Amino acid sequence: MGNKQTIFTDEQLDAYQDCTFFTRKEILRLHGRYHEMAPNIVPMDYTQDPDVKLPIQLIINMPELKENPFKERIVEAFSEDGEGNLSFNDFVDMFSVLSEMAPRELKAIYAFKIYDFNTDNFICKSDLEKTLNKLTREELTAEEITLVCEKVIEEADMDGDGKLAFADFENMISKAPDFLSTFHIRI
Amino acid sequence: KLIKNLANMSSKERMKAIQKTPKTMKEKREIRNKVLVEKMKKSGSYTTQINCCTQCLYKTSLSYRRFKNVLSGFLSSLQLWQKTLKVIGGKFGTSVLSYFVFLKWLLTFNIFSFLVNFSFITIPQLIAPGPNNLSFNGQELLTGAGYFRKTVLYYGFYTNSTITNNSSYNMQLAYIFTIGIYFIICFFSLVYSMAESFRKNFINPQMYSGSAAKLLCIWDFNITNEKPVKLKQSNLSTQIKESLSEVTFEVLHLSLKQKLARIAVHLIVWVASLGTTAACCAGVYFLSRNNLRPLEGKSELENEAAALVLPVVVSLLNLCIPFCFALFGLLEKFQYPRHQLYVTVIRNIFLKISIIGILCYYWLNDVATSEKECWENIIGQDIYRLIVVDFIFCLLGSFFGEFVRRIIGTKCCKKLGVPEFDIARNVLDLIYTQTLAWIGIFFAPLMPAMQIISFFIIFCVKKVSLMRNCQPPRKVWRASQMTTLFIFLLFFPSFSGVLSVMAVTIWRRTPSKQCGPFQGLPSVIDAVSGWIHTLDSYSGSKWVGWIYRNLIGSVHFFFILTIIVLIITYLYWQIIEGRKIMVKLLREQIVNEGKDKMFLLNKLQHLQTSKRDAPEEQVV
Repeated sequence: MGNKQTIFTDEQLDAYQDCTFFTRKEILRLHGRYHEMAPNIVPMDYTQDPDVKLPIQLIINMPELKENPFKERIVEAFSEDGEGNLSFNDFVDMFSVLSEMAPRELKAIYAFKIYDFNTDNFICKSDLEKTLNKLTREELTAEEITLVCEKVIEEADMDGDGKLAFADFENMISKAPDFLSTFHIRI
Repeated sequence: KLIKNLANMSSKERMKAIQKTPKTMKEKREIRNKVLVEKMKKSGSYTTQINCCTQCLYKTSLSYRRFKNVLSGFLSSLQLWQKTLKVIGGKFGTSVLSYFVFLKWLLTFNIFSFLVNFSFITIPQLIAPGPNNLSFNGQELLTGAGYFRKTVLYYGFYTNSTITNNSSYNMQLAYIFTIGIYFIICFFSLVYSMAESFRKNFINPQMYSGSAAKLLCIWDFNITNEKPVKLKQSNLSTQIKESLSEVTFEVLHLSLKQKLARIAVHLIVWVASLGTTAACCAGVYFLSRNNLRPLEGKSELENEAAALVLPVVVSLLNLCIPFCFALFGLLEKFQYPRHQLYVTVIRNIFLKISIIGILCYYWLNDVATSEKECWENIIGQDIYRLIVVDFIFCLLGSFFGEFVRRIIGTKCCKKLGVPEFDIARNVLDLIYTQTLAWIGIFFAPLMPAMQIISFFIIFCVKKVSLMRNCQPPRKVWRASQMTTLFIFLLFFPSFSGVLSVMAVTIWRRTPSKQCGPFQGLPSVIDAVSGWIHTLDSYSGSKWVGWIYRNLIGSVHFFFILTIIVLIITYLYWQIIEGRKIMVKLLREQIVNEGKDKMFLLNKLQHLQTSKRDAPEEQVV
């Protein structure tokens, strides 16, 4: 069927298809996007599974992420080392979770990771303040920010420890039916 | 243990489970490899014979899965407008995107209907066409009459005989079964979409106004352009400032007098809207009855022009009355802006469905029972004209509503600003057109082709108009909830209405005697009963006749079926109530656990401090 591509072996493509929500064609297209970000670093031939990682500065310049206020956190949440350097595996994983076929629970897990700025597995007040600043471009005064964060914690924190655990976050997400369609990046 | 569990699942479930695990890709691939190895080991513990079999099965299932993947890849490459939707979503967000996704979804209905009708009804008829001695002049495109009367476009052209080319093809049965099966498939797919949408989006509709959800779930990751992002950020900050500074109006204590005044205003506005709707319907009915009387002494051109008056009037009403409703609505005050949106949508859909309803009443009561030669053709032509004129008005509306409004907003009175894309009005227009097209399928089988063309053009025009003339929406628009509402509206007044019109046409109206596939029969359904009769003479297919008479034709069967469905619904409802109570109890339990945790932590702290103090005291 046409020209046989030699970027991935068949087993690799099967593995990618089984582990993500993408079809073969989309995976090859993603590889094209990954490659064009740094053509001299990323090899075209991935059959040997080369260990190549792209730095965060290149990835946050992608048109899909460039204007997103949470771009650094998104890339950091999906990187293995937590610093934002994505291998191709992580790159595919990121867009797979952000695609429209990923289920709500999976998206909620990663959304929690994204909003958890200090990576302590809780969304505490400082995380919320940073989120709010990014959402409103720092147009609110410090007083207003504190008020809003307190209100959020009061509403969503169920066990009363002053910060949001993943269960609280998931409970809140379940009340927002738009979450599935807004937490979605098309590529 | 995870691997053992995964190895025991079927391959499809395993794939889903692996896809859902929140681990990095490398770990997922390792898990997958381990699971495959485990499966190999398990299958290898059997004898070699069985090993061969499982190997074969594994290989065939693998190649089948590869084939399915190739097919899905091919189908997804056929997806229309992927890039356009991405651009629209990037600039305007999910809410406006939902309109275009809805339009695309309706387009698939029409493409499917066109393929089905064309292959099963039109192509056989084209093989053995009747004569057409009318000439074509350009007017037909607008009026649908003239040359088009004797083409495959309308019901009247189809023959009632069995077409014999190489094998016999019973046109009557083909016509009724194709249309019947198409409507059944539409019904199930609408119910399925509605149920899925409802399940995803109505889990817990209350408490959305909570700021927690607003903060953490509101950012639309779809938006990728700089200006809309900045706009959305400033909108968000304005919203947050407003909600901080306002007194919470969830608990608005109104005095009794004020409440009564509000209710009175609501009632007056409702009466006014319903009155306007009734007046419009009456006007439409009298105008259409006028059409039925032949106009003697006037030229052909004037006759055609007179035929166009009704569609133009209907489209004008559809365009202008919603503005009147909006004006009435200014008088009302709602507690939640959400309610205002729902009320507006309900009034508008009521208007549109009433107009279609009165037209159907006119068609089925006056046209069908009049002694006209080919009444189905007349209805088909009426629908054709309605759809064409509505399409033209839609384009004009887009032009004036958005382009001219932008010019006015930017050049003349700068205060107005650039218009926003009115999602509700546009979606209701789509639902209206689709209802007409569905009614028209029986009377003009190639109507879906027209819909396809018109939807294509509407998509392109709306997209261009959106990009050039509109700004992203400022207010919060719950896209998923509104989409569920629109799918429900498409199903409930629209599709159900179409089904009832079809039912009346098929069971209660005599087909015209000289044209169409059912000419001469006392009713359309007699074609099917006649066929069942002939089947009875074959001993091998007596069961078909039995099923028809005792299951589909008998009232008792449907009665029993309805009772069973009602019982099952009641049981599910009780289960849901029970689960709600359980959710409440579990939530209280979580709160209690949290309190316990805090209590124990405090006590621990207390003990630690007292332990620290105690040795100090001893020392002293």
